[in-house]
Amino acid sequence: MKRGRLGKYSLWQFRDFAIDRGIAILIIGLLWGYTLVEPLRRAMGSAFSMGPSSPAWPLLITVASSIVSLSVLIAVNGIVSADRKMGYYRFLFSKPVSAVAYYSQQFVVYLVGVVAAMLVLSGVLHTIVPDFSIVNYLLYTALIFVAMGGIGFFISVATRFDWLTLAAVWLGSRVLREFYGAKPGLPGKLVQLLPPVHKLNDVATGLITNGSAPTNDVIWLLAYGALFFVLGLVLLRQGSLAD
Amino acid sequence: MAVVPPTSDLNRAAALVIEFRNVGKTYKSLLGNSVKAVEEFSLQVVEGEILGIAGPNGAGKTTIIAMMLGYLRPTKGTVEINGLPARVYVERNGIGYLSELIAIPPKWRADTALVRYATLAGIADAEIPTRVNEVIEKLGLAEHRDKKVKALSKGNLQRLGLAQALLRDDQILVLDEPTHGLDPVWTQRFRGIVEELRRPDRTILIASHNLDELQRLADRVAIIDHGRLQRVVSTGYEENAPTATRFRLTLAGGFDRIRESFPLAESAGRGEYDVTVRSIQELNAALADLMRRGGLVASVVPERSVLEQQFREAVGESQ
Repeated sequence: MKRGRLGKYSLWQFRDFAIDRGIAILIIGLLWGYTLVEPLRRAMGSAFSMGPSSPAWPLLITVASSIVSLSVLIAVNGIVSADRKMGYYRFLFSKPVSAVAYYSQQFVVYLVGVVAAMLVLSGVLHTIVPDFSIVNYLLYTALIFVAMGGIGFFISVATRFDWLTLAAVWLGSRVLREFYGAKPGLPGKLVQLLPPVHKLNDVATGLITNGSAPTNDVIWLLAYGALFFVLGLVLLRQGSLAD
Repeated sequence: MAVVPPTSDLNRAAALVIEFRNVGKTYKSLLGNSVKAVEEFSLQVVEGEILGIAGPNGAGKTTIIAMMLGYLRPTKGTVEINGLPARVYVERNGIGYLSELIAIPPKWRADTALVRYATLAGIADAEIPTRVNEVIEKLGLAEHRDKKVKALSKGNLQRLGLAQALLRDDQILVLDEPTHGLDPVWTQRFRGIVEELRRPDRTILIASHNLDELQRLADRVAIIDHGRLQRVVSTGYEENAPTATRFRLTLAGGFDRIRESFPLAESAGRGEYDVTVRSIQELNAALADLMRRGGLVASVVPERSVLEQQFREAVGESQ
């Protein structure tokens, strides 16, 4: 018997991403970027486009990195849970296809999709601020997709309320790390297990501005996301597709 | 017709294809409450067989099918297909599956949905248009092929679901409530399609509320209630097997002869009579006698089919 042609199906997965999520990411990114950056550009004039030496650069990095985080949230929302919630898994996985392979491929396709969307957005920004590096921004996007998307993937396998849970985990980790991160004792140690969101600012500034960031921070972010992605796959393999 | 043990095979020479071995499924809530959906379910299905699965709502039919496709893991026992764990088999070979709820993304077009499923089914690019067109023609979806799934009527959606199940030449077909939402014409055509699908090397499972449908299509019917296999009924007639006991006889002539052959016949008006017999032999002997005396028999219909009788006995008259 022939196995399913999953590689070929990636084109359909990319099309679904573009229509269902890619357009939304582009619209939100453009609107958000425009409403935050444009008033500043008008007020600062040519000083705005001075690159890293511009006083507006830190804000630009914050806006650009926030758009990446939001895009990843939009991309991985329901990446597995939607098919289970809506019952689409029934016809998909009666075919000779492994759910683990299907959703692994979907994760990679969505990574490519988010990077493509960020290519468009950073291309627009690059015309206004020529020093804004498209390549560095895309590297940062890929890193955050693995770091945040890996956790999102796991949550999407484990629960049906994934975007809410991921947002809570992401923001909650920031808050808890700020409160307990530097404290001694058990709470201080336990928060170290939370997603390494406290490393994001430094990584965003370094990677987008210079194309480099502390290796340990990058590895920690990548490893954390990759670990949860793999845990998601294990859960998918061992668990049930139906409820 | 005969009630047969759950593990007996219709054709012992045929290869075993699907085996449920002491399968149980218990759902547990976060609060610790548990519901047993399936208990101690054992059944064997052989190559070439059409097995019906009947049971009232909530009996466990869909849970059993979900475990057979590997969508649910049994909490107890094993489900094997051709000697492999169910999910492993499906991932390697695929199964033609029509689910009770037809869940296809509403934004997909009917024909592109089939192209997508054909791709996942492993059909080569060059063959996909031909195969998709074949199932579209077979299921009468030509005029709806350009429509989005959300624009399809219930019956057309059901046919699209059946079309995707028939894309590949699968060895195993599982049809859960296949005629649900179909009009009488398509219900009839569906029966023809299933008869065409019958092949010595193919195994078909049909879960249905429609006992008449199962009676016509299936070789055996597994009756399930409260998550347990109550009995397996063979739908083939056998000489000494139990049969229906009450029949409605319609006569086109020789009305006054009826009580000579059926002394206890009760008139139901318009040439119809209800008669009670103890066996097929007694029925046939009395009918032969009636016709010899000049009775003109237009039809003989059991008040309840044997399957219906067995079903009522198995799940209780309340159903």
